[in-house]
Amino acid sequence: MEGRLTGINRKETLQYLGYLGSEIPEQLEQDLTRCEEEVLKTARPRVLWKLFSLEQDGRFAGTAFSPRGHDVQKLLKDCNQVILIAVTLGSETEQLLRRSQIRNMGDAVILDAAASAAVENVCDNLCKDLAERFAPRYLTDRFSPGYGDFPFAQQRELFGVLDITRQIGVSLSESGLMLPQKSVTALIGVADRPQEHRHRGCASCTMFETCRFRKEDTHCGAI
Amino acid sequence: MEPFELILLDGGMGTQLQAAGLPMGQAPEIWNLTEPDKVTTVHRRYVEAGSRLLYSNTFGVNRLKVSRTGYSVRDLVQGGIRCARAAAGENVRVALDIGPLGQMLEPLGTLRFEEAYDVFREIVVAGRDAGADLIVIETMSDLYEVKAAVLAAKENSALPVWVTMTFEANGRSFVGTTVPAMGLTLTGLGVDAMGFNCSLGPKELLPLIRELRRWTDKPLILKPNAGLPDPATGEYHITADEFAEELIPALQEGVQMLGGCCGTTPDFIRALKKHTDREIVKNPVVWRCFGVCSATQTVGFGGVRVIGERINPTGKKRFQQALRENDIDYIVTRGIEQQDAGADILDVNVGLPGIDEAEIMTRVVKALQAVVDLPLQIDSSDPAVIEAGLRVVNGKAVVNSVNGKAEVLEAILPICKKYGAAVVGLCMDGEGIPQTWRDRVRIAERIVKAATAVGIPKEDVLIDCLTLTVSAQQDQAAETLKALHYVRETLGLHTVLGVSNISFGLPARENITVSFLTQALYAGLDLPIINPNQRAVMDAVASFRLLSGEDRDGEAFIRRFAEIEESTKKPETAGKEMSIQESILRGLKGETAAATIRALETRGEMDVINELLIPALDVVGDRYEKQQIFLPQLINAANAACGGFDVIRERLARSGTQSVSKGKIVLATVYGDIHDIGKNIVRVVLENYGYTVIDLGRDVPVRRIVDTIIREDVKLVGLSALMTTTVASMAETIAAIRRSGHDCRIMVGGAVLTPDYAAEIGADYYAKDAKQSADIARMVLG
Repeated sequence: MEGRLTGINRKETLQYLGYLGSEIPEQLEQDLTRCEEEVLKTARPRVLWKLFSLEQDGRFAGTAFSPRGHDVQKLLKDCNQVILIAVTLGSETEQLLRRSQIRNMGDAVILDAAASAAVENVCDNLCKDLAERFAPRYLTDRFSPGYGDFPFAQQRELFGVLDITRQIGVSLSESGLMLPQKSVTALIGVADRPQEHRHRGCASCTMFETCRFRKEDTHCGAI
Repeated sequence: MEPFELILLDGGMGTQLQAAGLPMGQAPEIWNLTEPDKVTTVHRRYVEAGSRLLYSNTFGVNRLKVSRTGYSVRDLVQGGIRCARAAAGENVRVALDIGPLGQMLEPLGTLRFEEAYDVFREIVVAGRDAGADLIVIETMSDLYEVKAAVLAAKENSALPVWVTMTFEANGRSFVGTTVPAMGLTLTGLGVDAMGFNCSLGPKELLPLIRELRRWTDKPLILKPNAGLPDPATGEYHITADEFAEELIPALQEGVQMLGGCCGTTPDFIRALKKHTDREIVKNPVVWRCFGVCSATQTVGFGGVRVIGERINPTGKKRFQQALRENDIDYIVTRGIEQQDAGADILDVNVGLPGIDEAEIMTRVVKALQAVVDLPLQIDSSDPAVIEAGLRVVNGKAVVNSVNGKAEVLEAILPICKKYGAAVVGLCMDGEGIPQTWRDRVRIAERIVKAATAVGIPKEDVLIDCLTLTVSAQQDQAAETLKALHYVRETLGLHTVLGVSNISFGLPARENITVSFLTQALYAGLDLPIINPNQRAVMDAVASFRLLSGEDRDGEAFIRRFAEIEESTKKPETAGKEMSIQESILRGLKGETAAATIRALETRGEMDVINELLIPALDVVGDRYEKQQIFLPQLINAANAACGGFDVIRERLARSGTQSVSKGKIVLATVYGDIHDIGKNIVRVVLENYGYTVIDLGRDVPVRRIVDTIIREDVKLVGLSALMTTTVASMAETIAAIRRSGHDCRIMVGGAVLTPDYAAEIGADYYAKDAKQSADIARMVLG
């Protein structure tokens, strides 16, 4: 399955930029368009996925990995199989973002937001492809380490199980952060009956940690 | 090793151990100590299948990875070599297998080159002591990481070193390394064999092997996967026989070492043995390209290659000031400009009395590599500075320069050889610059002889016939051209020449420079050292490339001049003169600079800063707070103001005045955190309010922050953390600053922080955004 980046959701980019609803001046519109094009041109999305059977004790068959937390348990309650995914826009995008921070910081913040929206698009496309491939079975929402009570620290185990660094070139820093930064890991349950797709909601949003709306006890309206 | 002997390697290890019961995701190396028999059994099955060389089960052994397991690198490596040796017997050799460290090196990651070297050194020493026969560095994506590993291997053992890297089908690695860059760099570093492993099957790797063959004369290695795995089942699809069949053509490309990677088993090696036994293995004629490269861009020799001369403090007050004040950004910007103007290689000269040239060279090389793709030319006469630069270069560099003096050749050529650099040889010696072309050529011949004697191929010796100022020595221009012609045509060497010097002291210099450049190119100059920012000079290069046939069908020429015509057509911002405030509000850097120049006609520098630039920024900040504009506009305005500050700095540097600064601020993204865009935004804004920012970067150890605060005696430090997981590290940093007794004020920011939490961990100020950090700076520093 190829990684597919098919577009960048402008609303999402603006959300990452902390857009508060004021009118967007024409110059900024142009900058947004230019930066989105730059990301689309630069990104080389790579995806990786693998199917596991779930053991009675919640372990992924053939591995020593079992996700912790009630939220994952709830997500997988109907599932006897689970897919692990890893997605990245690649080091080319990381380089674009880093270099832009030296060349032109104004562009850098827009590029960063556009790249965040882009990696979501790649994830959405992968999930669509997987849903087709696994039909007539049903897939749950995707769920990443750090969402809800799924411990962020389990990222490292996930990296081991999927051999992510070797397969798609994403590495994990000492403190557990992914590089290239525009990368996502998640698990998706496979069930025999339709799964409820919740709102993406704050708890399952990739901005959960850092959202300025949530910090001010409000939300962005996109969910 | 016999020159054309085929050596069968082994196949997959991890998958074999998983078949023997190792859970997926668990480090296989631990079995070297806990289940050695199972590891040896896998090795033995490869020996039985025909492997002549075993890779030890140490791929993931390095202290960054094993620190969590409770085992030491030394024990795991020793165990790994022991397991392989037990299966090897008399006729099979054992290689210490070294894999990637699993963390990204600078500039994309935060692992420093020097630290990577040290991690590799520990593995090499353990493997050497355990009795490995050679060292294999494999599955690498990052050429820089490979360089650290190769240096560690060669400097700490006498064992042969092989390298295989992992590429995608498009001919690039995950971090953008290209095949030519790999070939040039590793050949230069003197590895004993190189090639590819993992990620692709035999068919996909074949075109890459053909490309690699063009850039090296070393024996080649191929260890492909068994095709690509089915994600749902994890199984590979090609059979052992198909695998072997598909690898046969590789033998004709000069591949001498064959084996398998993921998904391959002893059956694959058995099939390889069967299929290759009936083939005659021969190394085809080697035709090898030369050139220099960064990890991502290769500049082959032959044709005109422009070396940009602007990173050099000679005669440039502003540049000298930047060096003295550690203003690396200023220097890097000169690199970006030249890349944009069409330079192919960047000369890097940071020599200035009273500075630590080696240290600055290291920093400048690293900073340039983070932003520009061009290969570098390390320009110094001091061997220690040259080595400092070459060591941290990613790719293959040029050294500028040696001359005909015996002691210079003896001191510098071995360094060039060790790091695989090309070298510029100046046609002068202890007696000075010869006045006749014949005498210069004689020195060139001497330099080439000395270079080839230490193992530098003559294709990597670039001769500089020297330009003398025509206003002082008029007859010398012709001598230079004659020498050039002879060196290029008769000696067959590539030539370098600093061209601009020709016109020194004359009016309308550009006329002479361009005319001399054209004549020199015709005489055989192929690597002119020039200022690519001068349009007329680059126009001459573009014209020459068309006339010489290098620019096929004039494509580049037409593109260049179509673009230039286009850009001259555009009206200059409606022709109206804008005020400083208006141009800053609209985020126009060039206009702000122009308005600043006009303002300086009637006002002093400090006056312009305090009465015009800062108030304009305040208006921007105010609008941002009222949410009339948002982040990108705030930053663009700050950037525009920078245009004004640059004008003033330039002017003050010329008059010899210390640069203007409203005070020093240390900024750092705390240890463990690699998300630094927020910190970088704050930095841009603070700098454009006139503060001097000492930016320590990201993932900064507590100690370094405290030391810098004390050494620079700063009154304000800004700390940033983006993740909840790294806020703890911020708290530790604050505690350490307090413990040091320094009375520095601390402001903190970052997405997960709140004012309450900032107070709780002991910060003095919480800055919710870049604008507020500027307000805090003003409160603390004025």
